[in-house]
Amino acid sequence: MAGLELLSDQGYRVDGRRAGELRKIQARMGVFAQADGSAYIEQGNTKALAVVYGPHEIRGSRSRALPDRALVNCQYSSATFSTGERKRRPHGDRKSCEMGLQLRQTFEAAILTQLHPRSQIDIYVQVLQADGGTYAACVNAATLAVMDAGIPMRDFVCACSAGFVDSTALADLSHVEEAAGGPQLALALLPASGQIALLEMDARLHEDHLEQVLETAARAARDVHTVLDRVVRQHVREAAILLGD
Amino acid sequence: MQTACQAVQHQRGRRQYNKLRNLLKDARHDCILFANEFQQHCYLPREGGEPMEKWQTRSIYNAAVWYYHHCQDRMPVVMVTEDEEAIQQYGSETEGVFVISFKNYLDNFWPDLKAAHELCDSILQSRREKESENQESHGKEYPEHLPAEVLEAGVKSGCYVQGILNVNKHRAQIEAFVRLQGASCKDSGRVVGILQKNWRDYVVTFPSKEEVQSQGKNAQKVLVTPWDYRIPKIRISTQQAGALQDFRVVVRIDSWESTSVYPNGHFVRVLGRIGDLEGEIATILVENSISVVPFSEAQMCEMPVNSPEKPWKVSPEEEKRRKDLRKTHLVFSIDPKGCEDVDDALSVRTLHNGNLELGVHIADVTHFVAPNSYIDVEARTRATTYYLADRRYDMLPPVLSADLCSLLGGVDRYAVSVMWELNKTSYEIKQVWYGRTIIRSAYKLFYEAAQELLDGNFSILDEIPEFKDLDEKSRQARLEELVWAIGKLTNIARHIRAQRDGCGALELEGVEVRVELDERKNIHDLIPRQPLEVHETVAECMILANHWVAKKIWESFPHQALLRQHPPPHQEFFAELRECAKAKGFDIDTRSNKTLADSLDKADDPNDPIVNKLLRSMATQAMSNALYFSTGSCAEEDFHHYGLALDKYTHFTSPIRRYSDMIVHRLLMAAISKDRKEEIKENLLSNKDLEELCRHINNRNRAAQHSQKQSTELFQCMYFKDKDPDTEARCIADGVIYSIRTNGVLVFIPRFGIKGAAYLKNKDGLVISCGLDSRSEWKPGSLQRCQNKITSTPTGGDPVTFHLFDHVTVRISVQALRCHSDTIRLEIISNKPYKMSSTELCRQSSLLLKSELVKEVTRSVEEAQLAQEIKGKVIEEEYQEYCQSKGGSLYTLLEKIRDLALLDVSNNYGI
Repeated sequence: MAGLELLSDQGYRVDGRRAGELRKIQARMGVFAQADGSAYIEQGNTKALAVVYGPHEIRGSRSRALPDRALVNCQYSSATFSTGERKRRPHGDRKSCEMGLQLRQTFEAAILTQLHPRSQIDIYVQVLQADGGTYAACVNAATLAVMDAGIPMRDFVCACSAGFVDSTALADLSHVEEAAGGPQLALALLPASGQIALLEMDARLHEDHLEQVLETAARAARDVHTVLDRVVRQHVREAAILLGD
Repeated sequence: MQTACQAVQHQRGRRQYNKLRNLLKDARHDCILFANEFQQHCYLPREGGEPMEKWQTRSIYNAAVWYYHHCQDRMPVVMVTEDEEAIQQYGSETEGVFVISFKNYLDNFWPDLKAAHELCDSILQSRREKESENQESHGKEYPEHLPAEVLEAGVKSGCYVQGILNVNKHRAQIEAFVRLQGASCKDSGRVVGILQKNWRDYVVTFPSKEEVQSQGKNAQKVLVTPWDYRIPKIRISTQQAGALQDFRVVVRIDSWESTSVYPNGHFVRVLGRIGDLEGEIATILVENSISVVPFSEAQMCEMPVNSPEKPWKVSPEEEKRRKDLRKTHLVFSIDPKGCEDVDDALSVRTLHNGNLELGVHIADVTHFVAPNSYIDVEARTRATTYYLADRRYDMLPPVLSADLCSLLGGVDRYAVSVMWELNKTSYEIKQVWYGRTIIRSAYKLFYEAAQELLDGNFSILDEIPEFKDLDEKSRQARLEELVWAIGKLTNIARHIRAQRDGCGALELEGVEVRVELDERKNIHDLIPRQPLEVHETVAECMILANHWVAKKIWESFPHQALLRQHPPPHQEFFAELRECAKAKGFDIDTRSNKTLADSLDKADDPNDPIVNKLLRSMATQAMSNALYFSTGSCAEEDFHHYGLALDKYTHFTSPIRRYSDMIVHRLLMAAISKDRKEEIKENLLSNKDLEELCRHINNRNRAAQHSQKQSTELFQCMYFKDKDPDTEARCIADGVIYSIRTNGVLVFIPRFGIKGAAYLKNKDGLVISCGLDSRSEWKPGSLQRCQNKITSTPTGGDPVTFHLFDHVTVRISVQALRCHSDTIRLEIISNKPYKMSSTELCRQSSLLLKSELVKEVTRSVEEAQLAQEIKGKVIEEEYQEYCQSKGGSLYTLLEKIRDLALLDVSNNYGI
């Protein structure tokens, strides 16, 4: 049998979602006590953990310090058991380096770094289970963690992936859909202003379709925002009650 | 049910699954897929160790129960399965949800559907046979084909070559070609596997009684002979063989085991008696996969009403939205006499600035037919109106095709118009406007009348109903107005035509090309059109409209416009034409369409007008067929239309009878709203879907052409059938030799429009010889074939030579066949032209006879039916005897054809 039917005639995807629907998102903030901020997120079966330290003094060589803003340092890693095939992934392999850089770009755009000159913010993200959309899950987890740490940001950074199958754009791809080999686009959005923090795609897609895919990804990112917003409010409410006692 | 669908996908493979999907998609079947695995209450997780099938059955049953409760226990639900265990387990678990086998289901719920019962029986039987056969192990007749995975891998890696098999229609048992995909040419090869089978329904004939007896003991299995020569005999297991003897029957092939010489099939339904007109027509339809069931109630419900009590009116909203041309423009239509579906009308007027405005108004069918409505789906399936020799099968229901969409005279109609502003003297196009309009056609003219008016001959006036009730004065004024318009139109058309001729537009003889040009596929076509200038005028305006619309939709939607291309022909196909022309001393230059057109014009023998006609029809056959395509899947250079010499062309002007035109209308409407920056309401087809649709329409058009041709042949045969060729004068006619073969010649009979082969060597190896009185006889001897002549040398006689374009006298007779369509047989009885005092007269009315022929056959069939009703069984018995005595088997027939080794070129130009 060649090729799985990613989108049925009735408009259902393999896992029963419609084209624009997200997977179920569950998130928690403040999962670790020793870190400044931390968060855990589940998007369907993709699970990610983010920890934030800082802002603090520059560690290591002082020469890296920036005179006018904070240095954002991101590290990505994925657990050996995160994928179907068990595999040791040492720190500093290409994939995690790239992911770390992307995260850094994303958060440099979102964090108000000029408020903390000559200091450093560390964001560590670990993927516990990868079922498609790891970048998006990392960004969303990191956003929550940064908020938990109380670092001022312009806005939420909400990320979502989107793909293109049978001239229809699909939001929030799962691993099966990613593996099918169609074009995939990752978008990190500042939902309030609609500004794009990061847009990444490394497949060929006709420019006529780009707008459609982008639109789908942006809408999905806004949906993510609603969910994250609810999580943050819930967390704040709980924290307020604890503090009040 | 989603689970069931998935089961089909996994167990039966992609092909079956796609079939099922298409059935589901078709709105006519009223089927809905319920995604039960995605439904909260219906989803059941698979238990550990539970087999797939069990889980599927459980899921389906669970969903059925849920649905039953969902409908508040009011509607009983039936689950059909062949799994005995499931029936046992769930059969009585829930009240109101029945789990039964299919046979049981039919028996209980549809006891009256006899056809379905028979179908079910025959499927069950053939399945049982298969099972029992699997247990016995026969010696294999054929080496097994490779499994699909091996094939796919092999094709990808290049160790196998993929191709399409075409079996020669005339020498089905020994000749076939494989058209390869990819250029690499191989000398010889072997079929290792089949990627896709092109099975359809086949019409077959059961063997007559004697043959059944000779087949002997295996009475349950019958070998039936398909109507199509190219299909081998099919083995069927049925008990009804005796009863079905005299009928044409539809069967379907189920499988072809490697252990068997013949494929296995099952019986589907009866079409009609052999030799009966209705039965034979039904045969032609099935063989071309044309299904023309009457329009269903659901489809008719979508149609607007126009009855005397409730007349249809222009709605005020539409009136606001459309441009109103009722008062301002003189619109009229020119069509064949008695035409009901008028889909084009014309107008011309002088504007205030002195320029001319030419308008082409086309019936607005898409206003009435919403995309994806039931009617739309039906029209898409039919794709075109089918014109057979004596009847037609409409694409749209008559309320649209003959009434609301037909631009009749004197009534308000919606139209889609294209209007050009032309310079008053140079006729140069300055501006063009597209849009929806309301028109009221003032005159519904027919071609002959329009021509008379153009020639200034006003005696025809009495035949135009619009002029009848007018007083003399207003009549004169209106007449002048109309005559001016027709005259102007003709001038414009002449001018445009000249432009196109300059680029090398072809004018070709032959019905096919005619049809393409002016879209009159009517039965009137069989009447030779006196080449009136009005025909050309109308055709030219239509071509102009098509051309401009093609440009417009291509500019607006460069990736998803439906256009029509006519690829330039291969030069080698012209070889025969050049040779033939050389025999007559003409030189045909086929390098480009322009030179071809010019040299065809020159190749005219003043003594014999048929020569030019034949040459033109040969040129037509050498060309490839014009095709629809989607612009997204074709390079822009390939858009060219060779025959019309236009860079872009589409079909826009006949939405009543062609589905492609409806698509083009929708595209044009979307293009207009795009120009106005409005949102495009309709979902346009994507390039992929459009390409798929084009393939379907092309396919259907081909089927329409074949069925039309086959039905004409059927009528020709029926016409000559009851005539005794030895006594009836009409069976002897004048023929022209237009091609030479190794053992005979191909002859064209202008009087009946028949083309066929006449053999110079018969089955016994005797050759033709002509005595002094030029009467022919069969004598032993030899044949010698040269480039453009063939000589028959009988031993002890004078040799006879036949040249190309020689006139000969032929006798027409019918070769009656039991299992196939009858064929016309031609016999040369003299090598001199056929002399008859009224030959000239005959030639003039040549094709007129053809339409008479149709009438006569229809009448005689009706009479025969009447007679049959009276005489009843007596005739039937006679008929049976008659049939049996003729029961020539397929083999003798094929042998004959093989011996004769003659091909009719008119039939295989598609290869």
